[in-house]
Amino acid sequence: MNERDLSGRACWCPAADIYRTRTGWLIKYDLAGVATHDIEVTIAGSSITVSGIRRDWQLEDGARHYSMEIAYNRFERTVELPCDLSGAEVALQGREGILLLRLTCQGENP
Amino acid sequence: MSTAENVQTLPILPIKNTVLFPFMLMPLNVGRPASIAATEAALASEEKELVVATQRDASVDHPGLDELYSIATKAIIKKMARKADGLLDVVLFGVERVVVLKLETAGAYQTARVKPLPLPQEKSPEIEALRREVTELAVRALAFIQPQATEDLRRLVAGDADPLRLVYMLAPLFGLDIEKEQALLGASTVTECLRLMHTYLTHELQVLELRSKIASEAQTEMTKEQREYLLRQQMRAIQKELGGDTPEQTEVALLRERLAKADLPDEVRREAERELARLERLPTAAPDYHVARSYLDLLLEIPWRVSTEDLLEIPRARQILDEDHYDLREVKERILEHLGVLKLNPTAKSPILCFVGPPGVGKTSLGQSIARAVGRKFERLSLGGMHDEAELRGHRRTYIGAMPGRIIQAMRRAGVNNPVLMLDEVDKVGRDFRGDPAAALLEILDPEQNRTFRDNYLDLPFDLSKVFFITTANTLETIPQPLLDRMEILRLAGYSEEEKVEIAKRYLMPRQLKESGLKPEDWLFPDDALKAIIAQYTREAGVRQFERAIGRIARKIAVRHAEGDTEAAAIAADDLTSWLGPRRFSLEQARKQLPAGVATGLAWTEAGGEVLYVEATLLPNGRGLTLTGQLGEVMQESARAAQSYLWSHAEEFGIDRDRFCKYGVHIHVPAGAIPKDGPSAGVTMAAALASVYTDDPARADTAMTGEITLTGLVLPIGGVKEKVLAARRVGIRRVILPRENEKDLSELPEQVGKEMEFVFAERIEEVLSAAIPDLNRQVSRRRAAS
Repeated sequence: MNERDLSGRACWCPAADIYRTRTGWLIKYDLAGVATHDIEVTIAGSSITVSGIRRDWQLEDGARHYSMEIAYNRFERTVELPCDLSGAEVALQGREGILLLRLTCQGENP
Repeated sequence: MSTAENVQTLPILPIKNTVLFPFMLMPLNVGRPASIAATEAALASEEKELVVATQRDASVDHPGLDELYSIATKAIIKKMARKADGLLDVVLFGVERVVVLKLETAGAYQTARVKPLPLPQEKSPEIEALRREVTELAVRALAFIQPQATEDLRRLVAGDADPLRLVYMLAPLFGLDIEKEQALLGASTVTECLRLMHTYLTHELQVLELRSKIASEAQTEMTKEQREYLLRQQMRAIQKELGGDTPEQTEVALLRERLAKADLPDEVRREAERELARLERLPTAAPDYHVARSYLDLLLEIPWRVSTEDLLEIPRARQILDEDHYDLREVKERILEHLGVLKLNPTAKSPILCFVGPPGVGKTSLGQSIARAVGRKFERLSLGGMHDEAELRGHRRTYIGAMPGRIIQAMRRAGVNNPVLMLDEVDKVGRDFRGDPAAALLEILDPEQNRTFRDNYLDLPFDLSKVFFITTANTLETIPQPLLDRMEILRLAGYSEEEKVEIAKRYLMPRQLKESGLKPEDWLFPDDALKAIIAQYTREAGVRQFERAIGRIARKIAVRHAEGDTEAAAIAADDLTSWLGPRRFSLEQARKQLPAGVATGLAWTEAGGEVLYVEATLLPNGRGLTLTGQLGEVMQESARAAQSYLWSHAEEFGIDRDRFCKYGVHIHVPAGAIPKDGPSAGVTMAAALASVYTDDPARADTAMTGEITLTGLVLPIGGVKEKVLAARRVGIRRVILPRENEKDLSELPEQVGKEMEFVFAERIEEVLSAAIPDLNRQVSRRRAAS
């Protein structure tokens, strides 16, 4: 794990919107072009980390970059929430380039 | 995790002179074909990864494995843009430390087999101590490099708790050399890395401190002027950035442009260029800057060579002169003579005229009229009350606030070097310890000297010889002789009643009508009303009060018009009180009858002529001659001469010689409060004395003037016209004049000459016999008896 900790540092960080919901939390991540299976969610105490990798793909033969601004490769975003998240239920949903992450907290009483 | 899993094959990008550390961003310009190919290959991949390795030798173009440091950094391309010349701008982000195992060629670029080389994670008090020490050193060193950003950097540096990241972040900031940076990247433990960084930082800090010390020492050595110069240069640079040229540069450029266009004599151009060169070197704030600038302005504005063309058509000039002024034949002739001369000899010197006459006779306006007649510009300056030579000649430029003299200023205003320049009130120039302006005038008014007139401020010769100088004065008495000598005196005597009426009709009335906005048909102004105004409301040789009275009437009519009464106003001679208020002067009348001992004299004053009576009376048991009435010395002497002459010729006039011994005599000349002087009352004194000694009264209808000598000669006097007019004004129609003044009668208006009877005398006997009728009888009786 130590190895990964250092070498696996992400090189970009997606933007996120956080909503309070009746049952817990909803976090929107600006993560277009990332396959859901490339995403990993880690919960530790009150923080929740979404990390993964955005891979580029060749759309057609012979196309090559003229310029590039989108960040590829590893990303990571850690969000700190004002409550303990252990035992919370995580649900991921990709929608039009936005990743929706729902946290349903037990005993949460909004 | 097996080793084989971690080994990757990635395109390799060799870089020169710098090291990419993990976690750091680095903008890079990719230019070598192999590097471009390697970057393209990375871009085409899903993860945009490549290996960045530093070359040991920057001059090698295609480095092999030996020529690259084997410890390199895996990086991903964050951004990329192609430039027009085919090169690539990329932003790389260091991901992790790798070791290059092998290079392989893949077409146009090389790939490297690399294996991650993570540092063992350690935590120890030593690492923490080193971290703090490095942070401290870095903050101190950064204070030298970027003083203005110290606070931000301190927060950034102190904020990162990870020691390795701290080192990687600091390394590029201090511009360490490649070996040191590569050593940092290649350190095998965190402790080693921190120790190295500590050593480097300590060294860097020492160097920085030394540099700063050297710089501050150098600064102290720099003199104050140098610093000011430096600051000024910076200010100039800023001004230039802000808005093109600096103001003073545009100013100098403007002056230079004007200088190039100006038509200047060589000597002046040289001086102007010298001054301009000086101006360029001066800072704007220097007081000398403005001195030099206004001096240059003056040099460029003075009409060194500009002159107007004279209009030399004599008929036209005559017409203009006649239009503007009535009579004044002598002066007009003189002007026309000069025009004639100029026509034949264009380089003729301009005359220097001096108009002498009472106030209000039109001296100043005559100057304007002359300028108009000859087509020159007109400038005037008043010398009245001037008592500082510097006012005429200027101050030297060394004085603060120095200015050119009035003459040069007048030339600047005129804009040409041949104006008509009128110097008013030349008889009222003062003089005191500051100098004598009249002495400066000597140079200005001398055609031989004024060709190179030197103003103290200008300090260059200016040619005044083309200027048509006209001076004016009320009297010649106070003008110094040398100055008088340089000028051609033209007398403007006072006007007679008829002349005044004529002047009123031609000039004053139209002018006052125009000023009040009336039309000529708005009033009926008969001549006798004008004459009544002259007699009852004015006492002057000129026409100023007269014009004011006419103006007053015009304004009264204007008020009536404004109130709706637009009927023409008739002004009658006997109704003047309703227009002008009570009369101001009672009609001056000659005394109807003179007792023995009184004779009528004529005097000349600055305001024209006056009639005065000389009264003499005998004092029984008195002694000598008593004179009262504020008589000057010359007048007292002529009284004595008159008495002595009568005494010595007593028998001839039938006077008892004892009367001279037994009686003293008192002579009084009213009005007693007005000082009187001059020799021209000599004959009047003699007549009064002869009358009192013989007890025969003098004729009341006869006035006289003339200087006498002890041998009984009658000498000519001045101011004949004014004196005759004064006599006529009070109703005297007979005047005794010295024979030599006969020629002056041509000055008189024809009408006056016809009305008056003149007796010309060469000897005092002729005067006395003309003045005292009974004396004739006595003398003839005596002659018959003998």
